Amino acid sequence: MTHTEHDHDHNEHDHPHAEINQTEKPTYYDMLETAIRELLIERKLFEADEIRRQIEVLDSRTPALGAKVVARAWIDPNFRKRLLANGRTACEEDFGITFYDDTELIVLENTDKVHNLIVCTLCSCYPRPVLGLPPDWYKLKPYRARAVSEPRKVLAEFGTTIPDDVEVRVSDSTAMVRYLVLPKRPKGTETFTEEELADLVTRDAMIGVVEPKLENGSAAHV
Amino acid sequence: MSDSSELVIRLPNDIGGMPADPINPIDHDLAPWEKRCHALADVLDFHKIINTEEKRCGVEALGAEMIGKLSYYERWIVAFSNILLRKGILTPTDIALKMKEVAARYS
Repeated sequence: MTHTEHDHDHNEHDHPHAEINQTEKPTYYDMLETAIRELLIERKLFEADEIRRQIEVLDSRTPALGAKVVARAWIDPNFRKRLLANGRTACEEDFGITFYDDTELIVLENTDKVHNLIVCTLCSCYPRPVLGLPPDWYKLKPYRARAVSEPRKVLAEFGTTIPDDVEVRVSDSTAMVRYLVLPKRPKGTETFTEEELADLVTRDAMIGVVEPKLENGSAAHV
Repeated sequence: MSDSSELVIRLPNDIGGMPADPINPIDHDLAPWEKRCHALADVLDFHKIINTEEKRCGVEALGAEMIGKLSYYERWIVAFSNILLRKGILTPTDIALKMKEVAARYS
């Protein structure tokens, strides 16, 4: 394939939409996205800058945000209470997390009697404002199909065994209502700071497929 | 009851409880166009042009074959174009001409 982009790199090519770093012809779907976006911008249905700003918002949401929320709930009983009463309000008020997709957030507390697992059987609904975008396996058939009918087997495939006397409760997300699992605080973390606790909380623990673990060496306390 | 009744009872997205393969815990970093596609979806929702349920429904309307063969964001962008056509916001000619223009940037 020959490329003329080379020339463009060295000139200030006056083309408003030029993607001059592109070296290979994009896929059909990549070009379709560009076409649709540019057409809608030309029709003034929204501005190009809104896409750029939303990409920044998406990039700013990672499981680290959810981990902070969980760690706070572990150390602050009052926050925990408010978080369980209304997940969205507590995240907005105490962490300034915006719910850009206008979804409700229900926080599900794991206890000695109940282990929670979240799924979206129909598609890929996920607590994006606090966890970012879902991993691929969450969006694929095996997890979506089996989480509701054989959750213990699914958990076992993630290396998680929940004792038989603990109920496994699966919550199926919708377009408007999203869930976040509040895992159990691991034993042996009594002296941990909030930040050290947050380091133990992984994305998968907040989906409910694993439990936070105190790995050898991850404990900052010696 | 014929086997085809299953197609009516269960739409392609409705897979909760069905038998399926073991979990393969895969993930990938989004390609730039996939991230743009996601941002586009959010902006379309903010402006009440296409909401989340319309998007999900639009993906389902692609039918089982396309759902099976297209990747996640490929399904989204095709669903968006179909919904925009159906709503009369874009025409097939608009999209065809713009696709030609976009492709020409790389030839």
